[in-house]
Amino acid sequence: MKREKQAIIFPIGEAIAFSVESIRRRLTRAVITIVSIVLGIAFLSALLTISRIVIALSGPIASAEALPSYQLWMAIIALLVCGVGIVNSMLMSVTERYKEIGTIKTLGAEDFHILELFLIEGGIMGAIGGVIGGILGWGVAFVIYALQSQSSLVSSLVTQAALGSIDLIGYSVILSVVLSLLSSMVPAYMASKLNPVEALRYEV
Amino acid sequence: MASVLRYEYTVETEDLAKNYVMGPITVKALDGVSVKIRRGEYLSIMGPSGSGKTTFFNMIGGLDRPTRGKVYIDEVDIAKLDAYELAWLRARKIGYIFQTFNLIPVLTALENVSLPMIFAGVGREERLERAKQLLERVGLGERLDHKPAELSGGQQQRVAIARALANNPVIVLADEPTGNLDLHTGLDIITLLKNLNSEKGVTIITATHDLKMIDVSDRIFWIRDGKLERIETRKEVSVRPVERE
Repeated sequence: MKREKQAIIFPIGEAIAFSVESIRRRLTRAVITIVSIVLGIAFLSALLTISRIVIALSGPIASAEALPSYQLWMAIIALLVCGVGIVNSMLMSVTERYKEIGTIKTLGAEDFHILELFLIEGGIMGAIGGVIGGILGWGVAFVIYALQSQSSLVSSLVTQAALGSIDLIGYSVILSVVLSLLSSMVPAYMASKLNPVEALRYEV
Repeated sequence: MASVLRYEYTVETEDLAKNYVMGPITVKALDGVSVKIRRGEYLSIMGPSGSGKTTFFNMIGGLDRPTRGKVYIDEVDIAKLDAYELAWLRARKIGYIFQTFNLIPVLTALENVSLPMIFAGVGREERLERAKQLLERVGLGERLDHKPAELSGGQQQRVAIARALANNPVIVLADEPTGNLDLHTGLDIITLLKNLNSEKGVTIITATHDLKMIDVSDRIFWIRDGKLERIETRKEVSVRPVERE
């Protein structure tokens, strides 16, 4: 039996299609998870956008703290809560799919392939949540300050600061994807290490 | 060039044993089974529930490690393989068929059949082409894009058979392949397995309760209490009245 040691990678397109189908099949849970990501990310994105607008309005002379540290802590806690939510959701997804994982392993999947599938699933949910949450938070902060503006000068400053803060949406998406990947790591690792015989014997 | 080499015995076991420790009790699920299975044979492992059939089956499929003894597949001791090589073996040398079909629910029939080829590194075009041919061979050419939930039990088992054959394995292991099917559909599946066995020369090993399987088997291994009770050829079975379990 001759074999060359070369890693066979699950073609990324098909791995993504597989993961998307898996998410669609358990859509309700995926939506709940994504909503929790959206809320956490939107909160952070709104706080950061507001701080940029406040700095722009107070001008160079103001040394007032634009983003009080307690608010930042609240955002961090919100993100932790969403991380735990993702871990929970992915663990359920793994438990539900014991048999499927066992089957894929008997077909010759390596641990790496299973890891890949679950990380992609987590990453997709993170990306969707990040995009929606980032835009939502930024938009809410912008609208609130724009509505409060009394003069055209203030309103133009707010618009300028908000448009200048559009990069925050990008950061939110990156943060959200990283957070989701980190949270999916443990469940995905557990799935990849399952013994095929035990996984196949498992009845849901 | 592993595929060109021909070994007389596809599977060989030596004093194979497996113990399960359940608290203070050690259960001897398998207790010293030594067999040789020839290339191209159609073999049935029969025995009552709890006799150790499935354990034996998992051992020769490289799914579980024995407590004692050895398993050789194409003269390679599978205990010596690392995780990567074991995955390689499962992908290319062995095809599995299960009682509960175990198709991936989110994938279509075509995708299910092409999945093992992904793990064997086959290119996309070839994968889909071969999967289509296999599905046509098992009589499902019209249902390529159906998901498992849209197929009957017999059809799902046909997809599973096509999937087991995807990488041209030398052995197909079928664990109670007719266990969840009605009499007629079960017979269809048995006939299909037998035809594939003759056509492709693939060794088929089934663990089963189904006495219909005897009619197509070259040899039957009777297992009881973890031990190989006797080995019979089809002729020997047919001259002796078969006891019902």
